[in-house]
Amino acid sequence: MRAFLESVRIALGALWVNKLRSVLTLIGVIIGVTTIIAIVSMINGMNAYVANQISGLGATTFIIDQYGMVTSEEQWWNVFKRKKITIDDMKAVADNCPDCAEVGGRMFTTRTIKRGSQYLDDVYIVGATANFVDIVKQEIERGHFLTDDDYLHRRNVAFIGYDVVDNLFPGLDPVGKEIKIDGRQYTIIGHGTREGSTLGQSNDNYVFIPLTTFEKQFGSRRSLDLFVKAASFEIMDETQDQVRLVLRARRGVKYHEEDNFGIMTAADFMSMWETFSSGAAMVMVGISSISLVVGGIVIMNIMLVSVTERTREVGIRKAVGARRKNIMFQFLAEAVTLSLVGGGIGVALGFIIGIILTAQIGVPAGVALWSVFLGLGVSTVVGTFFGVYPAVKAARLDPIEALRRE
Amino acid sequence: MLRHGQDGTIVLIKTRDLWKSYEMGAETIHALRGVDVNVEAGEYVAIMGPSGSGKSTLMNLIGCLDTPSRGYYELNGRLVSEMNDNELARIRNKEIGFVFQTFNLLPRATALHNVELPLIYNGSDSTTRIEKARRALEMVDLGDRMTHRPNELSGGQRQRVAVARALVNNPSLILADEPTGNLDTKTGEEIMGLFGRLHDAGNTIIIVTHELDVASYADRILHIRDGAIEKEEQVRH
Repeated sequence: MRAFLESVRIALGALWVNKLRSVLTLIGVIIGVTTIIAIVSMINGMNAYVANQISGLGATTFIIDQYGMVTSEEQWWNVFKRKKITIDDMKAVADNCPDCAEVGGRMFTTRTIKRGSQYLDDVYIVGATANFVDIVKQEIERGHFLTDDDYLHRRNVAFIGYDVVDNLFPGLDPVGKEIKIDGRQYTIIGHGTREGSTLGQSNDNYVFIPLTTFEKQFGSRRSLDLFVKAASFEIMDETQDQVRLVLRARRGVKYHEEDNFGIMTAADFMSMWETFSSGAAMVMVGISSISLVVGGIVIMNIMLVSVTERTREVGIRKAVGARRKNIMFQFLAEAVTLSLVGGGIGVALGFIIGIILTAQIGVPAGVALWSVFLGLGVSTVVGTFFGVYPAVKAARLDPIEALRRE
Repeated sequence: MLRHGQDGTIVLIKTRDLWKSYEMGAETIHALRGVDVNVEAGEYVAIMGPSGSGKSTLMNLIGCLDTPSRGYYELNGRLVSEMNDNELARIRNKEIGFVFQTFNLLPRATALHNVELPLIYNGSDSTTRIEKARRALEMVDLGDRMTHRPNELSGGQRQRVAVARALVNNPSLILADEPTGNLDTKTGEEIMGLFGRLHDAGNTIIIVTHELDVASYADRILHIRDGAIEKEEQVRH
């Protein structure tokens, strides 16, 4: 322990004396650890965010769409000619699925909306069923959501997001007022709570209108996304089978053929996210291990220089009774201290970068305590691995030769 | 375990037929050719010879920095000639205090820390270490220079720090290699005076030198030439 503190003191002293050299020496380790920490905090933050978003969908809800999850071009060529899903399909599912608690649907497009001379571009216009409010757990701040009556009578009513409130009704209560979507007049019946943004995309940039009204105004060539809520989590599989049966029959899928529609659950979204984030983690391991190896080699190099510069010191220490292991330990502790200083700086920088980046994309940073230990652990391993050779070299010096060296 | 000589004195160093040979290509060079040395505890001995005589090699062997190619060396009752690296390090730490021509202090460490150095390697705790180092520095009249670094000290003061370092572990032998070689005459005399005082206090001292002036401070001079003891003389003070 005493020898250890002594070595740490020597290492820190040497670092301080050669500040520029130290920074250059440590840059590899700093970059490596910074990368690890920044990406770990980002993925961590994203994980929490995505889990939260997906849990908003709920474990009992699943989505059926025309294409399913398309992750490759090849897959796209197989699915792009599929039939669209219609409102009649939705009705058939609702009528023939005893385990479905809710069956809803939506279509969307982006349009410019206007109020008098003011306008807002690229707003998501979502045509939805009235039960959508329950299925996606839409929060309501003022007024109410679309009703079944609005749906049945194809009313021109709109439930708007906060971006619309901010831009077209600043400081006003928009309920009861009018907006124009593509020239058609809609009466506002309510608006949602403020949700902020994700990956630079606002989550408040929407207008809900009844699905029937949507079809009337924008035509019926779009495919419908069905949102189905099972009665309970235990019967999720049966519920999906019932839906699948109805849709296969209606869409003329033969017995041996695959579904010509996609069913996606929260678990599917989660596993897709996990695939993505573990891919990002692999990239991180790649980048950081290159920097860490380079950083380690630089540390090894500087330790070899240090051993050469301090050959005489080694001779003196050996003359007064230092054993090989004392010398070895001293230089190894120096290498590890060097590397740990780099690791410490890397952890701090990584957190800062992680926090800045996640703030930029509107996701809370997940600063995890364990990643501090990860960063410091990795730098200890690098320091030890690349410090062994110089340390052994120092420990093996012959005291007589070493004392003779200038 | 101490051995007693025939007349009741304590034998500290006993070498028999000590050889040191180096292979230089096809040639074998014998730096030492069968040296026999006896030193009793409390003696003050000078090993004297011109450069290339083998006196440095002999000093390295006596100082346990090296092992003989052949022969027998017993220090303080222990057979050093058969020891491994770690055992030699232990002997250097406990039994021997070195004083070098070039002082060999750690440049970035204070006088106190330099003197502490041998104690670090025998596991003393820091309170004991500082206490002992302080006492050793006071013994060489540097009580007021403890926090100075070598470059803030004169040559004579540096050599006195080195002497304090040699003394700090209470070794059975102080081994000085040309201790006045880098000092002016007056400072050299001061250092030799210090060795004299240490000898009077009961320490065993061996000085390796090529200068008769320095060697004549000792009680006994061993003249070495071509790797062998040429003659031995008693000095009358």
